[in-house]
Amino acid sequence: MLDRTRTTLSDGTTIDDLINIETREVQLRAISDPELYDIEMRKVFGKTWLLLGHESEIPNPGDFITRLMGSDPVLITRQKDGSIRVMLNVCPHRGMRVCTADAGNAKVHTCIYHGWAFKNDGDFIGAPVAGEKMHGDILPKEKLGLTQARSHLYGGLIFATWNLEGPSFDEFLGEMKWYYDMLFCRTDKGLEALGPPQRFTIKANWKTACEQSASDGFHTLTLHRWLGEFAKFGDGDLTTSMYGTEVSSLQGHSLRCMPVANKFKQAAGFRDGNLTLEEKLAIVPPPGITKEMLPELIRNLSPEQLGLLVDSPPQVGGMFPNVLIAFIYVPQPDGEIIGLTSLHTYIPKGPDELEFCNYILAEKDAPEEHKQKALQFAVRMLGTSGMVEQDDSDTWPHITQTAKGAAARNITMKYQAVCTTPPRPDWPGPALVYEGFTKDDTQWNWWLAYRELMNAPA
Amino acid sequence: MTMNAVIPTDVSVASDAPFRPNRVPVGSPAYNEITEFLYEEAWLLDEIRLAEWVARLDVDLRYTCPVRQTRPLHQHAQSIVRTVMHFDETYASIRGRVGRITDTRSAWAEDPPSRTRRLVTNILVDSTDDPDEFEVKSYLLCSRSRFEETNLLFLSCVRHDLLRRYDDGIKLARREIIVDQTVLGFPNLAIFL
Repeated sequence: MLDRTRTTLSDGTTIDDLINIETREVQLRAISDPELYDIEMRKVFGKTWLLLGHESEIPNPGDFITRLMGSDPVLITRQKDGSIRVMLNVCPHRGMRVCTADAGNAKVHTCIYHGWAFKNDGDFIGAPVAGEKMHGDILPKEKLGLTQARSHLYGGLIFATWNLEGPSFDEFLGEMKWYYDMLFCRTDKGLEALGPPQRFTIKANWKTACEQSASDGFHTLTLHRWLGEFAKFGDGDLTTSMYGTEVSSLQGHSLRCMPVANKFKQAAGFRDGNLTLEEKLAIVPPPGITKEMLPELIRNLSPEQLGLLVDSPPQVGGMFPNVLIAFIYVPQPDGEIIGLTSLHTYIPKGPDELEFCNYILAEKDAPEEHKQKALQFAVRMLGTSGMVEQDDSDTWPHITQTAKGAAARNITMKYQAVCTTPPRPDWPGPALVYEGFTKDDTQWNWWLAYRELMNAPA
Repeated sequence: MTMNAVIPTDVSVASDAPFRPNRVPVGSPAYNEITEFLYEEAWLLDEIRLAEWVARLDVDLRYTCPVRQTRPLHQHAQSIVRTVMHFDETYASIRGRVGRITDTRSAWAEDPPSRTRRLVTNILVDSTDDPDEFEVKSYLLCSRSRFEETNLLFLSCVRHDLLRRYDDGIKLARREIIVDQTVLGFPNLAIFL
C-alpha cells in the first residue's frame, strides 16, 4: 500500500529511499534533483522560519531592506511603532516586484508598473486615477495589500515564515534555544549588523553548503588544512581543537562548543577550575565579547550558560535549514586574539546555484575599535574573499555536478561516524549532546530534519 | 521634459570627482609609464607571479572593494557601501593572502588555479600636488575559467588607484575596486583585481 502522505518522485522514489535511516546514508541524487528542488521550495522554504537580516539594518521608521525568503523576494520594513513587517515584494496587481531598491526609507511603496501604492505595512492605498478604479470592485481594498509573512525578532535577528499556523519561533529552536541564547541574547543591547551583507553566487545546490553548516568538523582538517600549515595562524595541529562537545537537535540545529583550553596555551589554566570568570575573560574572552561586558553576561545568562560560554563557547554551527553561525577566534602573530561574528544564509537559486549571503555583526556595546577589527578580520577570513571560506566554494559545485552522474547519483553520502562517548555527567545544557572528537551526528540530524519536512503533508 | 535634463546634484560616487584640470595627457611619457605598470601588473597576476606583484605594492597600501547595492538614481552615491566590503586590506594582510597561496600546499580555492585574463582599459591619469603621485582610474574586465566549465565567469569594475613613482619604478599605494555587481558572479575573491 502506498502511504499517501509520503512524498514520492515521479519515478516512484520516496524520500525514505533517498535517506536511509538504518545505515545513515543519503543518496547523492538527493543533492541536485530538480524535482526534489521544487518540493523543497514548498515544504522546506515555504514552511520553516528563515533568517532575513538584523533589525539594526533598519533602525528608523520607514526604513526598509529587500531580501530573498527562499525563492520569494520580500520587503522588510520598520513601522512607526518600532515593529517590523515582512511581506511579499510582489504586486498583487500583475506580479511586478514592488520595491526595486536593496535598501532605503519610504512611507509609501509604489509599483512602477501600473502605480499601485502600498503603505509600508503593506496595506493597499490605491491606484492612479482613483475614480476609474483600476482595482475594480470585485475585491475589497483590504484584500489587495502585500501578502504578509509571519515574522519574529530574536536577539535582533529578523526571522519570518510563510507557515502562519505552524510552530512558534521558540518551538522551532526547541532545546537548542538554550545555546543560541548564549550567542544572540547575552548582552543588554545585543548584536548589530556592521553593514549590509556580502552577496555572491556559487554554482552549487543549497544543501551542499547547508549540510556542512550543520557542524561538519572533519572538513576543517583537510579542506582548511592551510590553517595548520600556515605558521602565522596556528601551531600546526588542528586536531586538538576538534575535541569538544557538539550539541544538536532533531530540528536540524547544531553548534560546536570548543574548549578554550584546547585552543590556546594561555588558557590552559581554565582546566583546573581555580580561575574566576573575570580572570578567564581577561585571558581569552568568548568571541565577540570584551571583559567589560561581564556584568551584562551575568544579567542575561544563567550561571550554567555563562560558565559554558566562557569555558567552551559555541564557535561554529548552523540553524536549519540554511544558516551558518560563526563566532570564531582569529589569533594574531603578536598574541592578540580577535573574536569575530558572522552569519551566512545560503539562499537556493535553482537546483544548481546558491547565493552566499554573509552578515558581519558585533556586539552593539563593543568599543568602536573592537568592531572595526572584527569587521576587517571577518572580511579577511570569511565570505567573499575570506581565506577560510574561499576553499569551500570549489567543493560544493563539484558535488552538485557529480550528483548528476548515471552511476554517481546512486552512490551514497555517508554519515556513519557516530559518537559513542556518553555526555559528561556535569554537562549543564539540554538537547542532544555529543562529547569528544567531532563526528557526523549533527549533520545526520540535519538530514533527519530535512526528511521530516519533506515527508510532511503539503 | 527637455532633452538636457540635469542630473541631480546629490549624485556623488567615487568616480564623480570633477575632471581635473591637471590631467596627464593620454600618450604623454608619464601616462605611458603608468599604463605599462598596469599592463605588467595584469600580466603578473594572470601568470600567478604573486611575489613579483607584491614587490610592486607600497608598504602603506590600502586595498578595498566596497559592496554595491541597488539604489534609485537620486541615491546613487549610496550604491557604494564602505562598511562591509569584499576586500579590506593592508600591505600586511595582502602579504598574508599571498603567503597562504605560496607557502602552503592546501590553498584549494586557487589550487588548481583559475585561468584568468585581466583586460585593463580606459586609463585616465591625474597628477597630484606631489609630483611623484598619480591618481589613476582604469576599467578592468576579469574573466575566469575553472576546471572544465566552458562559460567564462566575468567581473567588471573600475579601479581608483594612487600610484607612487620611485627611482626603481612605480608602486601601488591605494586601490579602491568599484565592482558592478551587487551579487558577485564569482564564487569567491581568491584572486586579486
